[in-house]
Amino acid sequence: MSVPVFAMTSGGNAISELLAGIAPEGVPTWALWLTASLMGVSILVAFVSLVAMFSVWLERKVSAHIQCRYGPMYVGGWHGWAQTLADGVKLLLKEDMIPLGADKPLFVLAPALVLGAIFGALVALPLAPGFFFADVHMGLFLILAFSSLTTIGVVMAGWASNSKWSLYGAMREAAQVVAYEIPLGVSLFVPLMVAGTFSLTEASAAQAGWFGMHWFIFLNPFMFPAFIIFFIAALAETKRAPFDLPEAESELVAGFMTEYSGIRWSFFFMEEYAAMFLMSAVGAIFFFGGYHSPLTALFGEDPSGLTYQLVCAGTLIIKSFFGVFLMMWLRWTLPRMRIDQVMTVGYKYLTPLALVCVLGAAVWETIFA
Amino acid sequence: MRATTTTHEYFKNIWDSLATTWGGMRITGKYLMQKPITVQYPDERLPIPDRYRGIHYLEQEKCIDCLACARACPIDCIEMDAIRHGKELEWVLFTLDYQKCMFCELCVYPCPKDCIHMGTEFAFVSYDRSEFNHDLLSYKGMSREARIRKREADIKKAEKAAVKALAAAAAESEAHTESAAAPEPAAATQPEIPEPAETPEPTESSQPEGNEESTEPDEAPATASWEEQGEDSTSDGPTDAAPTDDSPTGGDSTEDDAPPAATDKPVSPF
Repeated sequence: MSVPVFAMTSGGNAISELLAGIAPEGVPTWALWLTASLMGVSILVAFVSLVAMFSVWLERKVSAHIQCRYGPMYVGGWHGWAQTLADGVKLLLKEDMIPLGADKPLFVLAPALVLGAIFGALVALPLAPGFFFADVHMGLFLILAFSSLTTIGVVMAGWASNSKWSLYGAMREAAQVVAYEIPLGVSLFVPLMVAGTFSLTEASAAQAGWFGMHWFIFLNPFMFPAFIIFFIAALAETKRAPFDLPEAESELVAGFMTEYSGIRWSFFFMEEYAAMFLMSAVGAIFFFGGYHSPLTALFGEDPSGLTYQLVCAGTLIIKSFFGVFLMMWLRWTLPRMRIDQVMTVGYKYLTPLALVCVLGAAVWETIFA
Repeated sequence: MRATTTTHEYFKNIWDSLATTWGGMRITGKYLMQKPITVQYPDERLPIPDRYRGIHYLEQEKCIDCLACARACPIDCIEMDAIRHGKELEWVLFTLDYQKCMFCELCVYPCPKDCIHMGTEFAFVSYDRSEFNHDLLSYKGMSREARIRKREADIKKAEKAAVKALAAAAAESEAHTESAAAPEPAAATQPEIPEPAETPEPTESSQPEGNEESTEPDEAPATASWEEQGEDSTSDGPTDAAPTDDSPTGGDSTEDDAPPAATDKPVSPF
């Protein structure tokens, strides 16, 4: 138990140290550890909620402005910034409904599993050097594994709902994720070969420096196609349009979420936006310099300084939300694809092209690096 | 899609998908940067054409309760009722049921007074269905002007009746006793009749101290046409109502009979 699980600074387990500092004598270590864990989880939940709230607001604004509308304008005063907060309160107060024919334990478990999986993935995401929950050495692997775990939750929800719409949505999700996991993982091999590590902190640290030549995207001609493939596969992974077949509302009412309402439904929603943020963050870390920008270079390389860490975190969050914005832009541009088109794109186009990119990058790295 | 795809088609597909996606994103991005064309509805509204067929409004002063609109309505959603006091109307109801109304504007055309119109207001929200049986009246009962006119008409009528009674009494006295008794009932009845004329509203409606010529045009334009047309369209009133109606308001429109109207005007502010 000496491993720093909840490291907020490079100094180690910040929350545990803080608690140990203020706790009275005689408090057992396991109590401190438990309290620290709960506090860390609370921070994570708050982070996910905030990201989802802001993303939903952003989505509504982006979609509105693409359609020459205003979107929410009233709640909260400034451009309806509190609209999602009001919606969240509404969802919390709604009746908790479980269909009569549903498999109740699975029905209840599915949203928790989906959201829990995304929490697990976010644990490995560093926002700044020494500003993370767990500096997992196989961070990328962990993130991909956990984000695939959401699929289990989705399939579980579809099956437990005992509804044809839900089941179709769940089957599509399963087929889609199986098809797109391959190009997603394979396209990430390209920056992985350059970085030489699965750790997100190390990959990010490898791109430190002034804007430009240090970012992985510029290091290799196969990097940009790899990023395009990664982005498309991430869209499919996060069930975003044009790959939102699991919840194709024109055919499948709401897909796997048809029978859900209230806060359980909002768990799926939060998962979707948190997954978008996570995928964008992974893309930013492995292609676009991680938490490094000219601004962070300006603030020096002292990784223990709080200002530097905050600037790094802000940089990564801005980069991630730019990716989220791109996903929204794409969603309101492209119509939904047919399931056979989705499969065709996944198996016939993205997978071979990703393999070609990996091969080319390997050759390039062998010759030039 | 065919089972086999040539190499050329394969790469063309890739290029096409990327190019069309980029083209689409350029278009949506253009719209994203554009100013929204919608307006924030309750706060600001788009201009509504003048001939828009919205919620009706009624110029109640002009309405003569002729039922032409109610008869013209193809779905009978107009209901109106008014009690007539001579030429004046005491309004009871004028409702338009917007649960039925289809905004066909057929009620507007037959109106002889051009007093029912379709407005530009289109939003009509209520918590209760009964509220859609919309009351178009701005006031119930009689308007203040109509009350004044009725009071004056009543006075005129009473005066006329008194004169008639006087004449009858005179004739009677002439018939029975030649000379002596005739002025006696006249003197007895005459002070009674102008008594209400001194105290009430006529002094309020027209300036109490002013001369008649200056006060009359003030309220004349609003109701002069009503008076003139009211005479020939609603001729159910007594024949002696015509000179009394003219006296307070219609003085300037009919210049020739204004002096006689002014002379027997009951307004005598002294």
